[in-house]
Amino acid sequence: MSVLKIKDVSKIFPNGTTAVDSFSLDVADGELVCLLGPSGSGKSTLLRMVGGFETPTSGLMTIDGEDITNVPPEKRPTGMVFQSHALWTHMNVFKNLAFGLKLRKVAAPEIKRRVEGVLELVGLGGYGTRAVTQLSGGQQQRVALARSLVLEPKILLLDEPFASLDQHLRERLREEVRDIQQRLKITTLFVTHGQDEALSMADRIVVMRDGKTEQIDRPDVVYREPQTPFVAGFIGTMNLIEGVVSNGVFSKAGYSTPLPVSDGPAILAVRPEALDLTASTTGQGKVHRVTDYGTHGLVDLELKDGTRVKAMVSHPDLFQPGQGVSLAPRAIAAYRDGKVIHRTSAVAPAPHPALVDA
Amino acid sequence: MTASDQIGSVTPVRRRPYGLLLVATPVLLVAWLVIWPIISAVIQTVWTTTPQGQGAVSLDTYSFFFSDGYSLSNLSMTLWTTGVCAVLLLVVCLPIALYLRFSNTRVAVYVQGLAIFPMFVPSIILSFAFIRVLGPNGTVDLLLNSVGLPHIRSPYLTPWGPVIGLVWDNIPLTVLILLSGLGSVSNQAVEAARDVGAGTLALLWHIILPRISNSILVAISFAVLGIFSAFTLPYILGPAAPEMMGPFMQRTFRELLEPKTAITQAVVTFGFCIVFGLFYVRSVAKNRAA
Ligand SMILES: Nc1ncnc2c1ncn2[C@@H]1O[C@H](COP(=O)(O)OP(=O)(O)OP(=O)(O)O)[C@@H](O)[C@H]1O
Ligand SMILES: [Mg+2]
Repeated sequence: MSVLKIKDVSKIFPNGTTAVDSFSLDVADGELVCLLGPSGSGKSTLLRMVGGFETPTSGLMTIDGEDITNVPPEKRPTGMVFQSHALWTHMNVFKNLAFGLKLRKVAAPEIKRRVEGVLELVGLGGYGTRAVTQLSGGQQQRVALARSLVLEPKILLLDEPFASLDQHLRERLREEVRDIQQRLKITTLFVTHGQDEALSMADRIVVMRDGKTEQIDRPDVVYREPQTPFVAGFIGTMNLIEGVVSNGVFSKAGYSTPLPVSDGPAILAVRPEALDLTASTTGQGKVHRVTDYGTHGLVDLELKDGTRVKAMVSHPDLFQPGQGVSLAPRAIAAYRDGKVIHRTSAVAPAPHPALVDA
Repeated sequence: MTASDQIGSVTPVRRRPYGLLLVATPVLLVAWLVIWPIISAVIQTVWTTTPQGQGAVSLDTYSFFFSDGYSLSNLSMTLWTTGVCAVLLLVVCLPIALYLRFSNTRVAVYVQGLAIFPMFVPSIILSFAFIRVLGPNGTVDLLLNSVGLPHIRSPYLTPWGPVIGLVWDNIPLTVLILLSGLGSVSNQAVEAARDVGAGTLALLWHIILPRISNSILVAISFAVLGIFSAFTLPYILGPAAPEMMGPFMQRTFRELLEPKTAITQAVVTFGFCIVFGLFYVRSVAKNRAA
């Protein structure tokens, strides 16, 4: 039963870098929120402030209504899982997990019971006497997770815990963490710069850029209705075509489509899977390359001025490089000045976001 | 026999002599300049000529050393100085090293410079600086006098003289060794410990010290080896009697003209140093195995 509130938190490092800029977020009880953003967007800094390892320059943070802004990490009810190199190599697995409990003066039999329970939970039952240097990378991260979980923190913080692991292991651990998190109903803040990770795990995603929030929404909403061109381009694949609107028609290099907004420059956004292609000799575009993925195909095409556009097609064998095509988007959005100004109401049936090639 | 078989069987045989040649020079040098003097020193001290003109093995010089009150008090004075210096070095250098490792302020740069500075100061200059500052009528005395306070009891020519000098002299090496040990303690490991609730003391005791115990051992062995056979500082700053082994040997050799006794003292000193040396080798071996 824990709620994390972050209100107008900023962090300016002594060297003048503004890593986090007036950031606000409420994480509900038992919710898993992913912080997603490009490198240097301030995700780690924000997480470290919640964990107590950095002091905010301004702002307020509370856990269950209690102000924790200036509480040192050892007194915070948070548990952090680091990217790597955080296990104590002079202690075996059991001692790594028991250390925090010992500091809390828990009785030895109780320590044993709880440590073994958590090891079981992360799938490492019976590994207690192993030296941590004798574990694989994935096992080490499970131990790191277990070490935080065994203390039953109110808020669990994970900073790219799987970044150093290979793709397969990452996917498996991601599912395991999600399972454990849901079973324990533990409020969790998860940092990643992998959009598939965020889309597949999160209850809500916070897209960050330069220390600020771009959008906070459910994964499917972030995917289907990105509020800014940055989010549109960052999550999944999106064609962003810069052009001009006049008299309700958007046009760019010989391509035009109705767009009911006022005159001026605009960015047209179309997902590859929402863009239909038909072969035509007077085509608005020309096929550049066709890639067959087996389940579907991806056509790279060029507008007359060389602007690249991607379209997903179910029969890639119908298209050849050099062929003329015309474009028929089923769903579009338009942005101006970094804000969405138009979106077609009909939401195209999209495949599961995680399946979309990034 | 196939070609690959031949290569496989010939290469190692051919390679071995080259490898041995590479190490031969240092090994020969060590044998000539270190091992041989030791052996010859030991032989000289145990080989006597009887009045009848025959050679004989005798431990007389050693039994003299270990029954002579003055020699023994010199030895125990040396051990005392070494022990006190080792403890003081740890007490002084560990906080400095910890500060340098975990502080990221600009001050740390200057502290590091200060800590390493003694390395560039020859002991002889250090000794005279010591006398000018802490000696009788030195700077401290003058300052105290000028505000009407009594003279200090100067550590100059007391056992504490060499202790202060030797500690100062050994700070750089000790700090550097401890610092390199602390380099292996990752920031994440430290932060993870704080995260699970470790305060400063628990962090130091359970996480940091166990990780650098080897470095501490190495630093102490280095310091102890140097201090045990130190000459300049005890010679200039220490009391006339009892004295440390370094000045003692020198005096026995040069002033009392008893080379055999002096060599015996050297062999005894060497014996003690080898014990500390073994500590060092053992910890290095343990480090390698880990
Ligand atoms: N200790 C520090 N001192 C000065 N600047 C820092 C410090 N730590 C981080 N920064 C700066 O703050 C900004 C945000 O860094 P942060 O580590 O939070 O990014 P991130 O989103 O976690 O990136 P990544 O995905 O690469 O981990 C960066 O511009 C970084 O250079
Ligand atoms: Mg980061």
